[in-house]
Amino acid sequence: MSAAARTTAPHHKAPSLAGFSPHAPSVTLPLRFMVAGMLALFVGVSLLVLRPAMLATYHYNQYVIAATHLFVLGWICTIVMGAMYQLVPVALETKLYSEKLAAWQFAFHLVGFTGMVWMFWTWNMKQVGHFGSVLLVGVGLFVYNIARTLLRVPRWNVIATAVASALVWLSLAVSVGLTLAVGKCSYEAASGPASGGPLGVFLHGLKAIAAFTARFDQIGAMHAHAHLGVVGVFIMLIVGISYKLVPMFTLSDIQSSRRARASVTLLNAGLLGVFVAILLRHPLKFAFALLVVAGLACYGLEIVAILRARKRRSLDWGLKSFLTAISLLAPLSILALVLSWPGLPLTTLTGRLENVYGFLGLAGVVSFAIMGMFYKIIPFLVWYGSYSTQIGLRKVPSLADLYSPGLQAAGYWAYLAGLAATTIAILLGNAAAVTGACVLLALSLATLALNVAKILSHLVRPRIEPLAPRPTLADNLSAQPRPHPVPQGT
Amino acid sequence: MQTMQLDEPLVLETLRQVVDPEIHCNIVDLGLIYGTRIEGRKVTVKMTLTTPGCPMHESIAGGVKNALRSLEAVEEAEVEVVWDPPWNPSMMTDYGRARIGLRS
Repeated sequence: MSAAARTTAPHHKAPSLAGFSPHAPSVTLPLRFMVAGMLALFVGVSLLVLRPAMLATYHYNQYVIAATHLFVLGWICTIVMGAMYQLVPVALETKLYSEKLAAWQFAFHLVGFTGMVWMFWTWNMKQVGHFGSVLLVGVGLFVYNIARTLLRVPRWNVIATAVASALVWLSLAVSVGLTLAVGKCSYEAASGPASGGPLGVFLHGLKAIAAFTARFDQIGAMHAHAHLGVVGVFIMLIVGISYKLVPMFTLSDIQSSRRARASVTLLNAGLLGVFVAILLRHPLKFAFALLVVAGLACYGLEIVAILRARKRRSLDWGLKSFLTAISLLAPLSILALVLSWPGLPLTTLTGRLENVYGFLGLAGVVSFAIMGMFYKIIPFLVWYGSYSTQIGLRKVPSLADLYSPGLQAAGYWAYLAGLAATTIAILLGNAAAVTGACVLLALSLATLALNVAKILSHLVRPRIEPLAPRPTLADNLSAQPRPHPVPQGT
Repeated sequence: MQTMQLDEPLVLETLRQVVDPEIHCNIVDLGLIYGTRIEGRKVTVKMTLTTPGCPMHESIAGGVKNALRSLEAVEEAEVEVVWDPPWNPSMMTDYGRARIGLRS
C-alpha cells in the first residue's frame, strides 16, 4: 500500500485542471464587463464634478437623465451583468449556459448604452430609441442566457428565486424605458411615403404606442421605470446574492430560510404595486411602498442574524463596504415612505428629497455595495487567471495580498464622507457644495483605481515564489496535534 | 535527501502546502480533508469545501492534485469532493482557528 517517497523540492508535472467541475466562466468574460463598468463610473463622476448643477436642480432634464443612464447602464448594469455571469453559476452550483452569447451581449450592451447616453445628452429621442433597441437585444441575450442557466440549477432556492425575479424586472424595466422613448418621438413618416407595407405597419404600431404612453404622467412614468430597474433588478440582486455571499465570507449560515423567502416575496409583491401606483399616481403607492419596506426589513433582520452567528470575527473592508451600503437601505426606506405619502406637495424641498432618494439609492446602496464586492470579484478573477494552476506547486499570494488594504480603507472613508457631504449639498441645493462633495467621491474612486491597477498588474507580472521547504513530519506532529476531522476511510 | 514512506501523515503534510487564498489557511487545518486512500502509487483524497459552489472549487481541487503529484512516489492523484457531512468551523484544528481569528 505504500511506496518510498522523497521529500525533495517538487518535480513539476504540467498542471491541468481538466476533469474538475468548472462552474465559473472564463476569467476574461466578467473581467471585460468590470473594466468597461469602471470606465463608465469614472466618466460619470467626472461629469458630476464638472457639472454639479445636475444634482442641485430638479432631475427631469436631459443632462440628469443622460448622467443617470450612464451610471445605471454604464456602471451598475455593466458590473452587475459581468458579476452575474461569474456569480450565478457559482452561487447556484451550475454552469453558465453560453459564454458566446455573453460575449455578444457585451458588444450590444456597450454600443447600446454609450449611444443612449450620448443621445439623451443631445435629447435626440429617436436615436435614443434606436440605441435602446440595440441595448434591448443585449438584455434579451442576457436574460435568455441566465434563464437557461437557472434551468440547470440542481436545487432551487431563495437565491434562484431572487435572480429569476430580477430577470423579469430587468426585461420590464428596459421595455418600459424603450416605450417611454417611443412616446417622446413624432411619427411624421407614418403618414408619408413609407406608410405602406411592413415598415408602415411598424411605424403605425410605434405611433399607437406613443399615443398610449401620452395618457400617463411623464414624470410618474419615469419614476415607475426607475423603480423597476433599481428596486426590481439591483436591490433584488443584492438581496438574493447576499444570502450566498455574506454567509460564505463570514463563515455563517442562513438563519431563517422562511424570513429570507419572505423578503423576496414581499419585495416582488410590493414592487408590482408600487410600479402601477406610481404610474397611475394612485394613493395606494404608500401601502405598496410599505410592503417593499417590510421585505427590506426581513432582509435586514436576516443579515443581522447571519452576522451574529458568524464564526469569522473580523470583517474585511470589502465586506464592510457591502454591509454599510445595505444599512443605507434604512434611511432610504424612510425617505421612500415620506415621498410616497399621498398628496405630498411638489415643493422645492420635495424635489431635493427626490434627488437625495435617487442619489442615495444609486450611489449609496447600489454603488457602494458593488464597490465592496469589487474587492472580492476582481482579485478572484485575476488570482484565478494568474495563480490557480500554480496552487500546490508554488507559493502564491492570497486574494488580500493582491491589493493594498490601507488604500481600500482610505477609499471606504472617503466614499462615506462623500456620500454624506453630497446628500447635504443636494438638500441645500448648492452646486458649489455638490462639487466639493463629489471631489471626495472622486478621491475614493482614485483609491479604487489604484488598487484595481495593482490587482491587474498580477496578470502581467505574477508574483510566484518557491514553496517553503516542507517541515519534517516529526516537527509537525510534535508542534501541533491536528486531529483528522472526519475520517471516513475513503 | 530524506526518504519517507508514502503514508497518510506525509500526504496530509503535503496537502498543507495547499492554501485557501480567500481564507488564507491551508486546507488540512481548515478541516477540509475527510480522508485519504493510498493504493500503491495512487492517492485518493476525499475532501470538502467551506461552502457548496465555492468559487475556489477548481483551484483548490487542482492544487491538491498538483501537490500530491509533486511527490515522486505518487503516480496518480484523485480528488473526490463531497458535501456530506457539510463542513463547519468545528472541523478546523486549533492552529486553523487561530490562523483566521475564529470565534470559538
